[in-house]
Amino acid sequence: MKTTLDILYKDMLIEWRARSRTVALLSFAYTILLLFAFAIGPDSAALRQHAGAYLWLGLLLCSTLLLDRSMRVEFEAGAISKLLLVPVSAPGLFYGKAIANSVQLWLVGLISIPMVVVICDATLTEHWAWLVLTILLGGAGLAAPGTLYSAMIARLSGRQLLLPLMLFPLVVPVVVAAVKTTSLVMLGDPMNQAGSWLVLLGCFNLVYWSLCGVLFGRVVEA
Amino acid sequence: MKVRWETYLGAVGFLMLLGAHYVGLFVAPPEAMMGDVGRILYAHVPTAWIGLLTYLVSFIAAIGAMLTGKATWDAMVEASVEVGLLLNALLLIQGSLWGKETWGVYWTWDPRLTTCAIMVVAFGVVLALRKQIDEPARRLTISSVATIVAFVNVPIVYMSVKWWDGLHQNFSSPETVDSAMVTPLRAAAFAMLFLSTAFVVRRWRIALVQLTLEFDAPDLPDPSAPLAVED
Amino acid sequence: MTGMIQGGWGVVWAVYGITWASLILYGISLHLRERAQ
Repeated sequence: MKTTLDILYKDMLIEWRARSRTVALLSFAYTILLLFAFAIGPDSAALRQHAGAYLWLGLLLCSTLLLDRSMRVEFEAGAISKLLLVPVSAPGLFYGKAIANSVQLWLVGLISIPMVVVICDATLTEHWAWLVLTILLGGAGLAAPGTLYSAMIARLSGRQLLLPLMLFPLVVPVVVAAVKTTSLVMLGDPMNQAGSWLVLLGCFNLVYWSLCGVLFGRVVEA
Repeated sequence: MKVRWETYLGAVGFLMLLGAHYVGLFVAPPEAMMGDVGRILYAHVPTAWIGLLTYLVSFIAAIGAMLTGKATWDAMVEASVEVGLLLNALLLIQGSLWGKETWGVYWTWDPRLTTCAIMVVAFGVVLALRKQIDEPARRLTISSVATIVAFVNVPIVYMSVKWWDGLHQNFSSPETVDSAMVTPLRAAAFAMLFLSTAFVVRRWRIALVQLTLEFDAPDLPDPSAPLAVED
Repeated sequence: MTGMIQGGWGVVWAVYGITWASLILYGISLHLRERAQ
């Protein structure tokens, strides 16, 4: 538990010190949204309809950059083997990093909401709290398997191509559920389906946060 | 030359499949809704069942590999993922062609097709990783983890797409099968089971030879270290 | 009563053809790979 908090603090400190990179990441998210808007064209009805999809696609693309960067820090100069010698418990390391990744994704996600509202003329018919909850659960759902996988391929040369390829099949349920919920919140939820989608997101998080924590130890062994 | 048991099994499977497909194509009645196009059933459904079964084998092999670290289990992961991928890819092609005829489109966001498409990538990644990692012990660990996660993901993806797709009613594929069609279907399923088992076992042997070599390779001495000189 | 879809044998042959071709080719590839060892 203490390991988790220490790692979390360390990662947050690193990100704070390099906050220009976080700004770059936010700019990336912003650019993706702009590109979607340009690709769809001035058909504002289509943009409004699919604003949820664009938000999550942008977040997904940002996550691959973020995850790769976050894990590279550990493997530079063999830092991770020294970390494990200290000894730092591997699950503690996983949860610390995964929570740190989640926090960064939440930041990008929450800032994406006003961006999407402006660029896609998105509306918010239901209470905005649902949207915040979706960002939290969706972001966490991306971070857990992402942290495991970025550690798995950290030493491979083809990792920048491999990480999205490995991650995307895995996060289809997250994207499906998150986009659905976001669209319901933005466009209206007459049949109160948002709750059940959030339950799916919750279950996914439960499964992956436990499974990945267990597997992480084996993955980072030298 | 000694003929191994899987060769016999494969031959039996091959002949059974020939027979089952013959019956399915020329003897069994046409399907009520889809007419003769429904005969694709005898190729498609067994491929689906055995494909999923093969992936289940890979899941079990991956757990075994993680627990024991032995080449035998690692070889089984490699073999079953490869054969599983073959069946999975075949399934997509069959389903797509069948869909074109019955639904008018090559693709639809049906839960089964979608899950199938995702599985190809998830398990394909396992083989891609195996190609990239040279160190045997690490390769075993990484590919096993990737296999376990890919398999755990299958029911989750299926459920979420089913939920998502639930509002759109597609043509339903035949759930209840007419009795005249059950026999060739069952025969085809067993035939594919025998054939796939033969494939997996043979592929496992091939992998085992290679992996045993790699796992047992003696550590080479450091070339810069001075050679021991005996006085 | 043959049902709502008439004919369609072209697709049936295509599917069966691809199925058999893949299985046979894979079997041959296994045989060749083992020979090479």
